[in-house]
Amino acid sequence: MVDLSVSLGRLRLHNPILVASGTFGYAKEMAPLVDFAKLGGVIPKTVTAAPRAGNRPPRTVETASGMLNAIGLDNDGLEHFLAHHLPYLRTLPTAVIGNIAGKTEDEFVQMAARVHAAGHGLAGLELNLSCPNVSGGLDFATDPDVTRRIVRRCRDVCPDLPLVAKLTPNVTDIQRIAAAAADGGADAVSAVNTFVGMAVDWRRRRPVLGNVTGGLSGPAIKPLALRAVWRIAQLRAVPVIGVGGIGTLDDVMDFLVAGASAVQIGTANFYDPTASVRIAAALPGAVAALGADRVAAVVGTLTIPS
Amino acid sequence: MYHRTARVAEHVRLADRTYRVRLDCPDLAAAIRPGQFVMLRLPNTSDPLLGRPFALYDTVLDAAGRPVGVDVVYLVVGKMTGRLADVTSGTSLEVWGPLGKPFLDVGAPDHVRLVAGGIGQTPFLAFARELLGTRGFGGDAPRKRAAKVTLYYGVRTAALAAGVEDFRAAGVDVHLASDDGSVGFRGYVTQLLESHGTGGPLVGCGPEPMLHSLARLATAWDVPCQVSLETPMACGVGACFSCVARVKTADGGWDYKRVCVDGPAFDAAGLVWD
Ligand SMILES: Cc1cc2nc3c(=O)[nH]c(=O)nc-3n(C[C@H](O)[C@H](O)[C@H](O)COP(=O)(O)OP(=O)(O)OC[C@H]3O[C@@H](n4cnc5c(N)ncnc54)[C@H](O)[C@@H]3O)c2cc1C
Ligand SMILES: Cc1cc2nc3c(=O)[nH]c(=O)nc-3n(C[C@H](O)[C@H](O)[C@H](O)COP(=O)(O)O)c2cc1C
Ligand code: FES
Repeated sequence: MVDLSVSLGRLRLHNPILVASGTFGYAKEMAPLVDFAKLGGVIPKTVTAAPRAGNRPPRTVETASGMLNAIGLDNDGLEHFLAHHLPYLRTLPTAVIGNIAGKTEDEFVQMAARVHAAGHGLAGLELNLSCPNVSGGLDFATDPDVTRRIVRRCRDVCPDLPLVAKLTPNVTDIQRIAAAAADGGADAVSAVNTFVGMAVDWRRRRPVLGNVTGGLSGPAIKPLALRAVWRIAQLRAVPVIGVGGIGTLDDVMDFLVAGASAVQIGTANFYDPTASVRIAAALPGAVAALGADRVAAVVGTLTIPS
Repeated sequence: MYHRTARVAEHVRLADRTYRVRLDCPDLAAAIRPGQFVMLRLPNTSDPLLGRPFALYDTVLDAAGRPVGVDVVYLVVGKMTGRLADVTSGTSLEVWGPLGKPFLDVGAPDHVRLVAGGIGQTPFLAFARELLGTRGFGGDAPRKRAAKVTLYYGVRTAALAAGVEDFRAAGVDVHLASDDGSVGFRGYVTQLLESHGTGGPLVGCGPEPMLHSLARLATAWDVPCQVSLETPMACGVGACFSCVARVKTADGGWDYKRVCVDGPAFDAAGLVWD
């Protein structure tokens, strides 16, 4: 028997396979296809303080082995989430990690406090410091001081809720940002959100996306995400949740060995909606193939030949 | 909902750049209803990456009348459909569904008029069978809902008209229109419809400008009209929020609704047109 459970700070998961925010709706949408009990946890779509209509369409376009999205955090706001989505999410036989985005530092802190007060049933809270599709969103996790401050202030208002800081890869040195999040008291960081990019229709001389630019995800970004995770893991300051281009068991194992304590499956939920549960079922075999009896024992075991 | 690797039982050309692919998938075939769609994906590749949405064209029944497969009819327009056209029978595709909601209830009218622009005819064959009560879907027994069904079908040119015999064989009265006059009425399908005057409920599928014209006719005639939208989709199940259309809200404003779960068919009067 392989022990699949992992701990990231105070966040405990019965296996390391999570599904990424914005790629799994509010979980209910995926219920006809996915047995939630098989997952380590689900992360519903980002909620903001006030409702947001989101960006004008087209909101997504496929690119080579990937996709660009500019959804623009289309959601009905935190109070609606607490009243209409959380009661369902709370009944799921797996960990549910909320995901919030504030427009300002203060708004982040107010939202975190509200979740702490009203969000019972959540296993943790992910701070989306990194959405590239809303003005202001990108800024937070590009600045280590701002990142540290937001995490610390959220930490202060939710002392017993595990906090995950979700980082943007659109920075020169993600290690510094991760270190700041660790310093602010994050239980874990998730890396990465999408890479900002664009698609052009030269015949019409127009951008393809309604928002002009969008975030790149899917298999195309896996090597970039893997390197970001590996760099952060080398800090040995904070557990990392690997996200970016994960769609197969091999992808998951690559991230674990490179230093991720858990992973999130994102875009793959769209093109292979049962990938997450199939990977979770096959994980013990791959861990055993490395001669380990716990998944935690393979995390960060990458060796670099001298 | 089913997520399967399904064998391609048959793959035939129906018209210029237009093909019908038949998939063996009994469970999906038994569950799907007219107006719903499936996602199709080519296996073993990450480019194209995402599934693509395709309407139910028809269910395939065995000798005993049990559903054993689904037919999808598609037009080659880009990366995935271009590759799909090379898929041979005996190989497999990834398929998931049924997705979306069935067509809205039309009540029990004498006459339903289906209005298609281009490849927008695909959701209407199964719907005509359901309306005429010649086939049951989703486990229901056949039940006649309309005395007569007419298809108004507009194409750019005659070579693109696909499946016209299928509709006629199903008992549908078909009126064709073409932009170049190579078949039927010369002009837009909505102009052809207009020339026939008002009648029963309208159901549209096709390019947005055509649907908008149809919605205006329906308002002028004061007849019910639903339209099936074909916004780009990434997941087809409601998870990604990419397929949105603007739908009027009770407070006089509008909100983006996901076409894949709240549609694809919407009451035309409830949409905000660009
Ligand atoms: C509910 C629903 C039901 C549908 N049913 C059917 C059906 O029954 N039959 C059918 O044929 N189709 C149907 N469609 C449409 C079908 O899904 C699309 O035609 C299909 O996704 C095209 O995929 P593709 O990879 O071939 O084209 P893509 O390569 O994705 O291109 C699609 C279109 O977008 C344009 N495009 C793509 N990328 C760019 C870019 N970067 N710049 C500029 N333009 C771009 C292309 O020129 C093309 O016109 C349906 C759609 C929906 C939503
Ligand atoms: C359509 C779409 C919507 C997304 N929405 C969110 C979101 O609301 N909040 C968030 O933190 N990340 C969001 N993301 C980012 C993903 O959670 C993930 O970090 C990213 O897509 C990289 O992983 P992947 O390559 O496995 O998809 C979204 C991604 C996509 C493709
Ligand atoms: S296609 Fe993903 S929500 Fe509709």
